[in-house]
Amino acid sequence: MGVIMSEKKYTKDHEWVSIDNGIATVGISNHAQESLGDIVFIELPSVGKSVNSKEEICVVESVKAASDIYAPIDGEIIEVNNSLEGDAAIINQDAENTGWIFKMRVSNPSQYDELMTGDDYKKFLEE
Amino acid sequence: MPLDIPLKNFHEINGAKMVPFAGFNMPINYKTGIINEHKNVRNHSGIFDVSHMGQMLLEATDLHINNLEKYIPLKLKNLRNNRSNYTFLLNDNGGVVDDLIVSLIDINRKSFLYIVYNASRKNEDEKIFFKCAPNAEILHVKNCLFAIQGPESIEVLNNVIEIPVDMHFLDIDVLKYKNNSIIVSRSGYTGEDGFEISISTDQAEIFVKDLLENKNTMLCGLGSRDSLRLEAGLSLYGHELNENITPIEAGLSWALDKDRLNDTALNGNKILLNQLHNKPLNKKIGLISVNRSMLRDGMILFDRNKNNIGKITSGCFSPNLNKSIGIGYLNLNFDEEKEIFCEIRNKMELVKKTNLPFVKKNYKKNGSYNE
Repeated sequence: MGVIMSEKKYTKDHEWVSIDNGIATVGISNHAQESLGDIVFIELPSVGKSVNSKEEICVVESVKAASDIYAPIDGEIIEVNNSLEGDAAIINQDAENTGWIFKMRVSNPSQYDELMTGDDYKKFLEE
Repeated sequence: MPLDIPLKNFHEINGAKMVPFAGFNMPINYKTGIINEHKNVRNHSGIFDVSHMGQMLLEATDLHINNLEKYIPLKLKNLRNNRSNYTFLLNDNGGVVDDLIVSLIDINRKSFLYIVYNASRKNEDEKIFFKCAPNAEILHVKNCLFAIQGPESIEVLNNVIEIPVDMHFLDIDVLKYKNNSIIVSRSGYTGEDGFEISISTDQAEIFVKDLLENKNTMLCGLGSRDSLRLEAGLSLYGHELNENITPIEAGLSWALDKDRLNDTALNGNKILLNQLHNKPLNKKIGLISVNRSMLRDGMILFDRNKNNIGKITSGCFSPNLNKSIGIGYLNLNFDEEKEIFCEIRNKMELVKKTNLPFVKKNYKKNGSYNE
């Protein structure tokens, strides 16, 4: 399915978040997929799970290493991108669109406002 | 600070991602990524800069050979000219100081042992080499080392230098490139046919550019080198091998000269003899993850009752099998019919034991370092 984006924001852990009607879609940034290299496996979070921001909730594995994915904000996981289970490389091809990882019902929208804008994230990467 | 290899700039211009490895900044992969490089080596060929590795020349005198036989479990006196041998340096307990390739070659009508050894073990190895042969010459300060691997590597090389038609796997020779001597062996560590070339640093870049004229070859990094050697079931120092493991425990007794084990001049000979007759406690095995979760070095193996039965020493994604694979040691008391689990992120994941190698070797006959 396609993903409709509000303004995309970014975390320091190199994840992106966009919110639509109180539902956040989350993935890893294009920069993150580039530095991970070939992604070969993803352990998706459980649907229905309540999570707090900065909590480790799932893992992507590249050929070289495993790296944790954190909840960017508080909420409940309501959907995961099952197509990644068969083909995690979608994240390499299209990290910030069809490579989305999970959706969550946001319990604290102000946390979203505190995340970096695309421009801020670019600056963050240059630092 | 990690050191740079001579062609660092060349690699960066060609899109290498450089990472520190064994004290050097090394290309881990180029733009198309590890999996693509891996497949290109299996299907065509790939060029690896392995100039971080140690290269040593020792004059093959009786004295030097006698001294080295304390550490190396081969009959060095009987080495055949123009042949390479996979072997080890052993410590007092028969543990592996390093694994290496020792070859006998003539340079300017003098006979030399040419030794290639691991970058991570340079200090330990060189201490031994200089003790055995004080006038030994470190070659890696002036020569780069490249591996060309894959079924088409003979074509890639033949475009640039003339490879003797009777050169088989583990043969080695001093050949000419643009009127300069280079050392060429038919060998490598990917399970494929291939060559390793030691060439003067001055000529290294132009040589690699010449090789790249073949449009089906590509530069490959240490990432694919690791997944290729793992699929081929080949051991890597620091993973399957260390000072506390003997070659026999590592399933490499084929590489020992059995007569030398009776020679008290060989380090650890009694321990090795004993192990040869009484099976060691652990067995090196291949593992495949049943779900796709990656097996990684250091993960512990358990039986259904959560008893520790072994550990993983190397793991990666296998592009050929499209599965997560690993090499590990399994306790021989374990009933091999039973299920094996690996603890991955606090979960017990089922893994399947399999024989090594995962991918059949494709060497060009004569001799072998099959495991």
